[in-house]
Amino acid sequence: MFRPLRLLAGSALALCLAVPALAAQMALTGAGSTFDYPLFSRIFYAYSQQHPSVSVNYQSIGSGGGIEQFSKKTVDFGASDVPMDAKELARAGFPVIQVPVALGGEGIAYNLPGVKKGLKLTPDLLAGIFLGKVTKWNDPALVALNPGVKLPAMPITVVHRSDGSGTTYIFSDYLSAVSPTWAAKVGRGKSISWPAASSVGGKGNEGVAGLVEQTPGAIGYVELAYLLSNDMSYAKLKNKAGNFVFPTLQTVAAAAASKPQISATDFSIVDAAGADSYPISGYSWALLPVKPANAAHAAALKALFDWTVTKGQANAASIGYVPLPANVQATAIKDISAMQD
Amino acid sequence: MSGSALSFARRRRFGNYFWIGLSALLSVGIAAILLLILVYVFYQGVTSISWAFLTQVPHPVGVPGGGVGNGILGSAVIIAIATLIALPVGVLTGIYLTLFAPPRLAGALRFAADVLASVPSIAIGLFAYEVLVAPFHHFSALSASFAFSILMMPLIIRTTESAIRLVPTDMREAAVALGATELQTLFRCILVAARPGIMTGLILAVARVTGETAPLLFTAFGSQFWVVNPNQPMAELSLQIFTYAISPYKVWHNQAWGGALLLIMAVLTLSLTARIAFRGKVTANL
Repeated sequence: MFRPLRLLAGSALALCLAVPALAAQMALTGAGSTFDYPLFSRIFYAYSQQHPSVSVNYQSIGSGGGIEQFSKKTVDFGASDVPMDAKELARAGFPVIQVPVALGGEGIAYNLPGVKKGLKLTPDLLAGIFLGKVTKWNDPALVALNPGVKLPAMPITVVHRSDGSGTTYIFSDYLSAVSPTWAAKVGRGKSISWPAASSVGGKGNEGVAGLVEQTPGAIGYVELAYLLSNDMSYAKLKNKAGNFVFPTLQTVAAAAASKPQISATDFSIVDAAGADSYPISGYSWALLPVKPANAAHAAALKALFDWTVTKGQANAASIGYVPLPANVQATAIKDISAMQD
Repeated sequence: MSGSALSFARRRRFGNYFWIGLSALLSVGIAAILLLILVYVFYQGVTSISWAFLTQVPHPVGVPGGGVGNGILGSAVIIAIATLIALPVGVLTGIYLTLFAPPRLAGALRFAADVLASVPSIAIGLFAYEVLVAPFHHFSALSASFAFSILMMPLIIRTTESAIRLVPTDMREAAVALGATELQTLFRCILVAARPGIMTGLILAVARVTGETAPLLFTAFGSQFWVVNPNQPMAELSLQIFTYAISPYKVWHNQAWGGALLLIMAVLTLSLTARIAFRGKVTANL
């Protein structure tokens, strides 16, 4: 019993002695949005290849957790799919810079035996389904919209996020924009009370995707990156211009282009105008302190995010993310320059 | 009369067979579930395991290769420090509880240890966060070790207690009769005899925390890098599995299965070591 103890004490001592060797490193820590995680891991990896002295440790604990940890200053930066609102900013108690870092879309995934990808949906029908008013897949309106598609007489199961999520915010923001009934009865939020009688919740995008894949007759909203890498069936959605569009990198980029000026208080790009715009799109945000812990941190954070919102965006497309539009990049750079060291 | 007695006996025998059969069936079911999990994790994970997987740090999506080497190191460091904290505290508490504490206090301590053992690990993680992370404004491996040590202590205390109780009173009396002081009796006689039991408890405690993820979310935090400074956020194997499993990418799912296989093998090895190495030396009801 005493020999292993001595061994443990020895190795612990050795570890402590090894520490100063790494002291010259600048280690930045961030936490938040699960949506940003794959993109950030890619961008920060590329960044540290060019700047070997900087290592960025980003962990995906969810947007809510990101805001919480950022506000408590346990991390150098946060990330959230919805910008911090006035109440959250007041709770943090220090000035915050919020810049868009990623752009993504949400697809409507479904599981219908015999029906492939590309089922057409209108905003009215989608709202009807999630309100619990359209309950069968062979609803006359759905059949009329999709001639030639054999829709089964199957009940519709609505799948939604059970955890508070930016994905839910963007989806409910969209439904509120297109359906007055939804806006009045349910509204927008990171977690909302789902009105449809037959609805089930899944945790995270992977939970919703999994439930949809396992449940014949299910429909749910899933982030584009998950759709593309999981080979799921998803719908063509009618946009504001009246065209049916798939969520793709191009159609999400088109939606973003329709609103050149965004800010942390005016950020919604759902139901965007434009012939090719995919209507359920949104930005994800980095949360940065105006006054970081010290000058070295400030310089490192500034350089990192200047790169992330510009050159770093070149990493986006290959893993299912949409690069930020040029004008959004320019605004972001200007906002980041407000950081004080 | 004799007919009804016969049918009564038959009914009893049938009842016996039925319930014994059912118990046997369910026991086989439990073993089958374990086997199924092992086989399935092995099937899913074995293709991911390679030398690179064991020695490299995670790579981002789209960059081939990458592994969980830093996670394995992190798990080892965090558990080693947790053991350094939990072992002395647990063993000394166990000794005090068994040999020196007044009966009412001993009962209270035992109860406290049992309650502590059933506190959800996420709650202990949150406690460690409030005590060691939030006030210092950074995540650290130390806070994870602290949380782990709290999870390990009750198990070590209770196994120390049963191990000491198993040391025959004759031996203790013999030591005292030979003129040994109380301290000598404790260290040279009781603890030596109780060592296999205490080691078993320690190994089981390590096995218990090896699979924990919940207390790490807000303590160790995770990292993509080789980190050895226990005052920094650190990678941990089960945390890495969690992150990979909820990602959208097949490559990461495969790595999650590989990590899960490593974790199961580690826990299985620890449990088997505890059983085989100290077989017969411990009859504590673990």
